[in-house]
Amino acid sequence: MNSFLGFPRPGDMAGTRNHVLVLPAGRVLSIAATRVTDYVAGTKTAITGGAEVGRHKKDRERVARLLTGFAKNPNTYATIILGAKKGFGYQETEPYNLADEIAKAGKPVEVLTVEECGGLDRLVEEGIALARRYVHAASLVRREPVSADRLMIGVKCGESDATSGIAGNPSFGRAADLLIKDGGSVIFSETTELIGAEVDMAERCADDADAKRLLEMVFELEEAAKQTGEDIRGINPLPSNIAAGISTLEEKSLGAVRKAGTSKIMGVLEYATQPKKKGLSFMDGWMSAFSLPMSLAAAGCQIAIYQMGGDVLPSNDPPMLATNNAVVAPLMIITGNPRTASKAKRSIDFSSGAIIKGESSVEQMGEALYAKILSIASGEVTKGETIRYSDPLEPYYLGPVF
Amino acid sequence: MFHALQLEPVDNVATVVTEVGKGTVLTIQTPAETITLTSVEPIPFGHKIALSAIEKGEVIKKYGRPIGRAINSIPKGGLVGAHNIEGVRGRGDLVRKQGASK
Repeated sequence: MNSFLGFPRPGDMAGTRNHVLVLPAGRVLSIAATRVTDYVAGTKTAITGGAEVGRHKKDRERVARLLTGFAKNPNTYATIILGAKKGFGYQETEPYNLADEIAKAGKPVEVLTVEECGGLDRLVEEGIALARRYVHAASLVRREPVSADRLMIGVKCGESDATSGIAGNPSFGRAADLLIKDGGSVIFSETTELIGAEVDMAERCADDADAKRLLEMVFELEEAAKQTGEDIRGINPLPSNIAAGISTLEEKSLGAVRKAGTSKIMGVLEYATQPKKKGLSFMDGWMSAFSLPMSLAAAGCQIAIYQMGGDVLPSNDPPMLATNNAVVAPLMIITGNPRTASKAKRSIDFSSGAIIKGESSVEQMGEALYAKILSIASGEVTKGETIRYSDPLEPYYLGPVF
Repeated sequence: MFHALQLEPVDNVATVVTEVGKGTVLTIQTPAETITLTSVEPIPFGHKIALSAIEKGEVIKKYGRPIGRAINSIPKGGLVGAHNIEGVRGRGDLVRKQGASK
């Protein structure tokens, strides 16, 4: 069995990173959280767009699952929650409620509030002091060899073009099959991109109830799409997909699901929830590059992968369409398009572009990609991780707002 | 080397993996063998070429599955894309048209 060098965590888990997480309990605390993480090395925060005010319970629970999910993720060593005061705001994101949920993972978690610290400025000062202590304590945890069955990776495909379904996604699918054979786990998502491929995916579900739920998720989303009164091609495939040769949503979906490899689907998950079983899972989620990677991290993935087509991107060092957007999980950008690989050398971590040039096979590229994933799990930084910038995050809300 | 890939034997389109001009004799890799086909118009990288003549309304297959239907007839060796095929899923525009005609 393959292995990687991971940070040991309680409950037989292992991190690929060793972050101290500073969580704002509500958007009003974002100002304090960013001051602390700007000041203290080795920290991460999650600044989400979309205020929680006026949202119904299901959507407030979604924010809470994201925040607690980042904290429970094995890549997080300890968490500091910054709140207004005890009992303030909606109960789902009330600071002590968040801490109680996070404590279940058996890792250090502490709440600091404006009320108890004696003001917002004082909260920042105490947050900095505590974060520095946690970062030092985190440094005493050392990487050690752990078997690949402790690894869970999440995948999104994007900026899709014709290489996505032929080379990039199948190579990832092959790597996913190899990790699952080693006892590890993989989550794929993007419910819109099951439309046209959902019957095949439902047939791969190990459990009938999961198959039913998967078909239901697709049905609900397709009905919502029809309610817009638009041809879905005005929404997805995106104009850039169509320019790159993907003509219909069905065509995009059939290429997209190649990233799910050939393993049985062991779980069909609600948004931002952790799988109960190892192996391959599908999670309901929004395809946006500013939303999905963090949702995969909240589900527990220790690495998020962005499988990019990218043929229509600008021809020299294009900006990546979201940077470090998996919060505590490294985001690895891969492509099956040799043209993308050469124009975005500074951003692409792995290319399976040799396939469409007839120089390699999906099997060979899948093996090479799995080796690269294990290296990044062991501490090799992704090209995106060398940049300090993190894009603002967008939770996948159901809406409406009131 | 090949110019295009047919992914499954039932597919009536192949994906072109290089820039192809009009009148090019393409080498196409199918699951079983290599075949040749002449393009009747330019086919850009990543776009699809018709492996046989396709009638209006005929189902387009790629990955062995339907990806939509032809809205015009398409000649063998022609470009297959958003200008001459349409998806049938998630079509809110069709729902609205049906609603309006009631």
